[in-house]
Amino acid sequence: MRYIWLLSVILFALLSGCAPQAKVKSDGPVFFPSAPNPPRIQFLLGVGNSRDVEGNETEVSLFSMNAVENEKAKHFIKPYGIAAYQEKIYVSDTLAGKVAVINLAEKSFEWLKGAYGPGKLKKPINLTVDKQGNLFVADSIRKKIVAYDNDGNFLKVYGEAYDMVPVDVAVDARRVYVLDRSRSKILVFNRRDGELIEGLGQDSEDPVGNLSLPTNMTLTDKGIFYVTNIASGRIVKLDRDGHVLNTVGKMGDGFGQFGRPKGVATDSQNRFYVVDSAHQNVQLFDENDRLLMFFGDPGLPSGSMNIPAGITVTDGALPYYQQLAAPDFEIEQVILVVNQVGKDKVGIYGLGKRKNFDYEAYYKESQELLRKADESRAKREAEMKKK
Amino acid sequence: MRSKYRLIGMFALSWFAILSCFSFASAETCLTTDCHADLAQFKYSHSPVAEEDCSSCHEQVQEQHPVEKGSSFELVETGAKLCYQCHDAMGRKLTIHSPVQDGDCIDCHNPHGSDAGPFLLPVEHDLTELCVNCHDSDAFTHDVVHGPAASGACTQCHNPHESNFPKLLNKSMEKTCTGCHVEIADGMVNSPVIHKAVEEASCTSCHNPHSAPAAKLLQKDIQSLCMDCHGDIGRKVKKAKVQHPALYRDEKCSACHATHFSTFPGLLKQSEQDICLSCHGKDDYKKSKPLKNIAKEIKDKKNLHGPLRDGECSGCHNAHGSDHTRLLRGAYPKSFYAPYSKGSYDFCLECHDKNLLRFPETSIYTEFRNGKQNLHYIHVSNKYKGRSCRACHEPHAADMEKLINEEGANFGDWKIPTRFIKTETGGSCSPGCHQTYEYDREEPVDYER
Repeated sequence: MRYIWLLSVILFALLSGCAPQAKVKSDGPVFFPSAPNPPRIQFLLGVGNSRDVEGNETEVSLFSMNAVENEKAKHFIKPYGIAAYQEKIYVSDTLAGKVAVINLAEKSFEWLKGAYGPGKLKKPINLTVDKQGNLFVADSIRKKIVAYDNDGNFLKVYGEAYDMVPVDVAVDARRVYVLDRSRSKILVFNRRDGELIEGLGQDSEDPVGNLSLPTNMTLTDKGIFYVTNIASGRIVKLDRDGHVLNTVGKMGDGFGQFGRPKGVATDSQNRFYVVDSAHQNVQLFDENDRLLMFFGDPGLPSGSMNIPAGITVTDGALPYYQQLAAPDFEIEQVILVVNQVGKDKVGIYGLGKRKNFDYEAYYKESQELLRKADESRAKREAEMKKK
Repeated sequence: MRSKYRLIGMFALSWFAILSCFSFASAETCLTTDCHADLAQFKYSHSPVAEEDCSSCHEQVQEQHPVEKGSSFELVETGAKLCYQCHDAMGRKLTIHSPVQDGDCIDCHNPHGSDAGPFLLPVEHDLTELCVNCHDSDAFTHDVVHGPAASGACTQCHNPHESNFPKLLNKSMEKTCTGCHVEIADGMVNSPVIHKAVEEASCTSCHNPHSAPAAKLLQKDIQSLCMDCHGDIGRKVKKAKVQHPALYRDEKCSACHATHFSTFPGLLKQSEQDICLSCHGKDDYKKSKPLKNIAKEIKDKKNLHGPLRDGECSGCHNAHGSDHTRLLRGAYPKSFYAPYSKGSYDFCLECHDKNLLRFPETSIYTEFRNGKQNLHYIHVSNKYKGRSCRACHEPHAADMEKLINEEGANFGDWKIPTRFIKTETGGSCSPGCHQTYEYDREEPVDYER
């Protein structure tokens, strides 16, 4: 009888130890810019490993026999690139030589199943998906672009006959564009037969528009590339015919300048986002290259970036991401940023607006205040000069 | 017999006494004497005068009357207090007419009577003469005079004694004006667009209430008046190299804009397109360079230029003036031939792709290309005879897509036809300019062959 009591106590202790723990209460939503400015971006979620997606191990009861839940957590080593298709997120891990396929809504975290045999990856850097959900991965050690279908099955390899160091890839209906770091060019391959067509990027005596140690690029639906260049600290905009349209920013630590520009992405409203792994933030520009804001700078308990690299922006699967947002914050775009180190390897942010808040009126009022301040300063300076 | 004479004597005495009493009383009445008889001659007498109750105001202080020097009578009270014995006291409201304030009722009123009216004023209904005794008459002498001011109906707006509103107005400024101008009161309530000056300032910020140098009692010429607040437009109008003649006709700003309220944005009198077409929408036989009939040009056309589709002429034209031909908002060549140079087509390229004419080869910025060969570039960038957009496109409307001019552009005496035929991946033109050329985006035509 005494042992029965003892057994009961042990069983209770075991069960209660495995019972779901109350989640640590957060400090509330993290917004950018910080209060008292009206919020435009909210940090929604950080993903460090598969547990953050599938659920916490400690939530599993002893009585549960679910094999998946008992598996070991899958960890990133040094992730870099990211792409999203509907609810699916692809994250490349350069050191692990793998690509994670994450579906937050379905709470699944898998390694890309086609990445073995002919589809094996050595150092996947950046990746992209086409309109049908096919995945294209730039592998800088295998020196190829490896394509997979929407289910993760290996499809084909681009650049088989060419020596190149692919660091990023973009696709449209007819072409595969490969950012070749060794040549500082975008190599254009025919998507159907994999034949090399041309190399984009100028070799001008004026180096401003030349690609210079390019690391990342994105291609808009209209056919415009945004390429980040570590050596020049500039974003070069060029079209798919190779015309350099203009450049944005320069090396520096001012607003709109870059230290080590890495990932670049555009959204459906023609804004573009540039990750800077030196400033450890993302700067956001409008279609006229005007700096709108920046976010993710170090120093916050959550939402800060940690040597960030890849970025992608999507307005797909918004209803799911909206659940992660503060109740009065309505998101329009989801920004996914990869951190190469730290706890949250993937930071998910929502760009949006607070409901029932007149942003236009607020900005107008702010501009008016700024204008008045400028006027009074000019007046004071004029008076000083007179004296 | 003796007693009989005594009786007659007593009767005679008493009759004499009665008569003498009567004649004595009659002699003491102020108005019946030769001295003050004129006070009884007014058409309208002050009631104490009519009742010959002089003592309600005047008090005899010396027995002898009249006296050679000085007066044997004094007023029973001084100033307005005398009047307030009978009339309600004044001076409790916010604004008080200075004679009332000073108790100088007789500055305006005759205390005994008047021939002009029951208010005992020296003038009949036209009060101008009375008011300008003190008030500056200059305010009434401009060319255009407000009805009440012209007819001397000052009290139609002003209270002559006291008021709770500034300027001794009977009502608030707005109600004073809209009391007569009811159509403006109605418009203010029922219109979605109200002039800020009407809504936030007073009527007198634009109008003089008495008389004014400009029509509609405006303080000055309507254009100068509008520009006082709308200075940016004023500067634009003055500096513009191309001026809109409508701004210099009699109505000036008010030719297009309502001044108080409107149903349409920008206080326009009609919708934007209607107001423009009120001049530009009819055949003009009056001028040597007649205005084009745009209404005819766009009527029943299948495709309208984007801004026009939204009813906005102002998308392209600046009605207040511009530095560019046809009052356009930006640079566009005036002539048929105009080789492309940076900035020369900026206006069109504000909406259309700004790289349209930039590169000889493109797969992005135009569908009018043979393979990658940019045919817009070829047409416009020719150093000697670059063709401006009008060579192929209509600015307002056309039945063909992309506003391609089916009938052709005006080229002196000839309308050069385009004869454009579209295919799925390209098209062809057989215009008056060159032989038939085809183009294809997918399978480029080899023009060398």
